[in-house]
Amino acid sequence: MWATMTQCTDRCKRQISFPVTIEELFAVQEQQPEARIMAGGTDLLVALRHGPQDTRPIICLERIEELRRIDELPDNSVSIGAAVTFGSIVRSPLLKARYSLLTQAASTVGGPAIRNMASIGGNIVTASPAADSLPALYLLDAQLELRSTTGSRTMAIAEFMLGPRRTLLQPGEIISRIILPPAQDWSIQLFEKVGRRKSLAIAVASLAAMLRLAADGTVVEARFAWGSVGPTVLRCPAAEALLKGQPLSEAVLTEAAALVQDAVSPIDDIRASADYRRTVAGNLLLRLVA
Amino acid sequence: MNASALKIGTSHPRGDAVAKAAGTERYAADLYPQGCLWAGAVRSHQACGRIISIDTTAAAALPGVVKVLTAADVVASNRQGIIHKDMPVLCDDLVRYCGDPLALVLAETKEALQRGMSAVQLQLEPLPGLFDLDSALAADAPLIHEDKPGNLLAQASICKGTGLDGFDACSVVVEGSFSTPVQAHAFLETESGVARLEEDGGLLMEVSTQSPFRDRFEISHALGIPWGKIRIVAPSLGGGFGGKDGATVQCLLGLAAQHADGRWVRMQWDREESFKAGYKRHACRMEYKLGAAADGTLQALHAKLWYDTGAYAHLGAEVMELGMEHAGGPYRIPHTLIEGWCVYTNNPTAGAMRAFGVCQATFGFESMMDLLAAKLGMDPLELRLKNALVRGDENCAGMRLTTSTGIKTCLEQLQQHPFWQDREVWKAASPAYKKRGIGLASVFNAAGYGGGVRDAATAKIELTPEGTFLIHNAVTDMGQGNSSAFLQIAGHILSQDASRVLLKQPDTRTAYPSGSSSAGRTTYTFGKALITATEELKARLLNWAGMILFLQDNDGLELQPGRVLHQPSQKEVSLVALAGYMQPEERVCLGQYVAPTCKEVPPTAKGFFIGFPHVIFGYGAHLVRLEVDSLTGQLTVCDYLAVTDGGRVLNPGMFDQQVQGGVAQGLGYALMEDFTVRDGVVKTPDFATYLIPGSLDIPEIISIAAQGEPEETGPFGMKGIGEVAMNGPLPAVANAVADACGVRLCHGPLTPQRVLAGVKG
Ligand SMILES: Cc1cc2nc3c(=O)[nH]c(=O)nc-3n(C[C@H](O)[C@H](O)[C@H](O)COP(=O)(O)OP(=O)(O)OC[C@H]3O[C@@H](n4cnc5c(N)ncnc54)[C@H](O)[C@@H]3O)c2cc1C
Repeated sequence: MWATMTQCTDRCKRQISFPVTIEELFAVQEQQPEARIMAGGTDLLVALRHGPQDTRPIICLERIEELRRIDELPDNSVSIGAAVTFGSIVRSPLLKARYSLLTQAASTVGGPAIRNMASIGGNIVTASPAADSLPALYLLDAQLELRSTTGSRTMAIAEFMLGPRRTLLQPGEIISRIILPPAQDWSIQLFEKVGRRKSLAIAVASLAAMLRLAADGTVVEARFAWGSVGPTVLRCPAAEALLKGQPLSEAVLTEAAALVQDAVSPIDDIRASADYRRTVAGNLLLRLVA
Repeated sequence: MNASALKIGTSHPRGDAVAKAAGTERYAADLYPQGCLWAGAVRSHQACGRIISIDTTAAAALPGVVKVLTAADVVASNRQGIIHKDMPVLCDDLVRYCGDPLALVLAETKEALQRGMSAVQLQLEPLPGLFDLDSALAADAPLIHEDKPGNLLAQASICKGTGLDGFDACSVVVEGSFSTPVQAHAFLETESGVARLEEDGGLLMEVSTQSPFRDRFEISHALGIPWGKIRIVAPSLGGGFGGKDGATVQCLLGLAAQHADGRWVRMQWDREESFKAGYKRHACRMEYKLGAAADGTLQALHAKLWYDTGAYAHLGAEVMELGMEHAGGPYRIPHTLIEGWCVYTNNPTAGAMRAFGVCQATFGFESMMDLLAAKLGMDPLELRLKNALVRGDENCAGMRLTTSTGIKTCLEQLQQHPFWQDREVWKAASPAYKKRGIGLASVFNAAGYGGGVRDAATAKIELTPEGTFLIHNAVTDMGQGNSSAFLQIAGHILSQDASRVLLKQPDTRTAYPSGSSSAGRTTYTFGKALITATEELKARLLNWAGMILFLQDNDGLELQPGRVLHQPSQKEVSLVALAGYMQPEERVCLGQYVAPTCKEVPPTAKGFFIGFPHVIFGYGAHLVRLEVDSLTGQLTVCDYLAVTDGGRVLNPGMFDQQVQGGVAQGLGYALMEDFTVRDGVVKTPDFATYLIPGSLDIPEIISIAAQGEPEETGPFGMKGIGEVAMNGPLPAVANAVADACGVRLCHGPLTPQRVLAGVKG
């Protein structure tokens, strides 16, 4: 039996459960269809602070071992449980060796305490335009495994994301795993996030880049993705195409940067102006020759 | 000799270190008296409006709601304020900022309080608000306070020498316009306290405050409780920085207690309420003109400073005045005209904050010094050294300096540092797409309340029956460590180790009026009083020991931890024994001190109410090394050096902490802190939007004490340095950015967006 705890204060009579298997989780969900899933709570609890009237039950993922594992699969792809924290991702030698782009991105999330709570699944479901794992997951062709009582389905990350705070997640469904296809041989993997301070900062713009170079230094393949400069992760096929067959130089990257600056659709907010985000989105490409 | 006795000049651990590290220190915010009621203010959502009605019936009828109070329930003036009493405890006619309190709810639980507060029905007629200096100063602007024409809380000037005529003789003149943002204190412990009416009708309050003694007058004036019957207890503060100088929760809590039938009432603002209703640093706009001779000798200054004080006065006029007094930097300038305006708007109220009006002006002035150096083709350090004040000079406000004046020493020590010596090598090694720069700032900050205000303290120390010493602190410790300094002072004089000297935090019943914890005067003024008290106690102990040991005089008698020893005979009397012999009143000593004021006030200042001039200043020379990212405009502060003249250093560890804390807070102000208000509404209501620096944003801060003179008037030669370090970072960073990439930023904070816009041109 799973542990269920009822936190009782006058303010909030809330049922909180800690299932230890996914099956148990679905069983609780059946009894409490209005319940909310919580992994690290770093988004959910912030939202609840602003809506203390919400007394819906909470089902915690933290004791479900299956969701907390990083495994290599027989075909050399790697599966990351949805409740795996960014701290675990940063510390995983396997991920660092094969998908350093994700490691770099994970290491920019929040600060150490947040990384030890915040899960990759929560980051995906929150679907913030500024979510730091998403640009990397796009470039790595991550597949999401979604599960519900009725079964499971798999879907590419780009397909899953609809817009700010909107995904294809169905009621009663959870993300169980993120599957990264077998690692390829990239010459450069770079993630850079620009925030208003050096930690605990929401991205104002970010760039994920993966490049494969020929022996002579010309670009064989380039993949770029930007965060925080549009409603969802932004790709710029034109910039990627421009680099193909070219040497990686300041001149070429400056040209590509101009294409990016045309392609992005950033917003003005309290953190930065649209103009700043646009400029930086392009400029960040030059870091590839820094 | 006993090696463990506390000693002036050494880095003893802070007296509060263990309790704070272990989490056992009790702050006002930790108090939940048994059965206490919860009090909360219902605040205006309008920035400017007239009250049509406040309907409390529905709220009062809710279960758990005990009382709902409005201005009609306040029996006395209903006005609070330290000097200018213009701030209603509960608004009675107008609301002047978004957050003005309209009703006070008392409830059995926090949840009932929330429900009660939501049920109060407010009807306000919106009035046009004034949200910036220009609209508030416009000729046809409505008045925020009827009795303040032109929406001016204060208007003043300082004119020295021949004023503007001084520019006639200048070969070089530079001009600049600057602005600084609103800064929040962002202390960990938000405004909080508990209170109850006592059986004799008196008010007992334990509250997070920098000014326990003065709070009694504010409460008394607003609520009509005789101040002699108000007892304030002030535990350690979880931060203050000026934001708890003067009433925050006090009058609301007092009012709640008046209607709580003797029950305890608790109030604590949450972060959002603290940001909205707490005091802030004044936003400031500045226009500067500075002239010099061809050799760089400063000749003339014209500075115009406008401070946005928000809806109520708090200490706005005094903040402006202190900024004006510092508007010319720590330099000799024969001719100055410094003009100031402190302007009411419908923004949240600005008040006291570390470096009180000065850090704004320092940004203007120290930027001007670099502009001038560039125009003269002169080294910026040389320009500063050439014009640095020395004792005997007149400062920019016309005050002749008769106390320790260490700015030159600070600059000379900075000049010797490898960061300055090796600057070109370091700059040349900048990585791709990064530009390195080095920036300087010379800073100073007055200590003490200034002319016209009695800056006095009365210290009390007693020998307890257990043979330990108890200091009755009367000036709040908000984390700056003054209580540790007091322990060290008493321990040093009495030759006692840390375990035998204890300290009780302020309680107006058992300590004596000693002013606020502010203005770089806390350790200075109370410390002097404590020396007097402690020396008297020491004399009494030696006398008693001499009597017990049948000695004709004090020769050979010395205090040691726990005892008095007669060295020649090795006879001793324990302190416990002495405490037994002494009468209770004999075991208690008081000491008083009044800080020096200027006897010959120069006739330079007009429009100053109080607080001019000051006679003691702390000084500092700051250097920052930073990298500008030319792709993103981000700044990385690589190194920071602060050389500080605080007279003699009582505790090097705590001296460095004050400097490092000031620099860190100053770097926040320089790089990111920007309390944004649009149309009166706070756009940065929490720590997700109001950014303060984290550990990665702050470099190693090297603090060096100037090898200058002691401050003869101060306790063991010290003077206050709690504020001076805050002034350096913003101008130093701006100067370094200009050095790195030729971009002169005149509006704080220096965000990546502003830097990049500058780089792009
Ligand atoms: C101080 C602070 C700093 C932050 N900094 C960053 C940052 O730098 N970069 C960044 O990207 N984010 C940042 N965040 C946001 C947050 O930490 C991340 O989005 C994090 O990944 C969320 O994960 P979580 O496990 O805490 O999610 P939770 O809060 O537990 O859940 C978030 C949402 O996802 C749902 N959910 C969680 N797991 C699943 C699942 N497996 N299946 C279905 N639904 C699920 C929940 O129901 C909820 O709706 C920060 C947050 C805070 C408070």
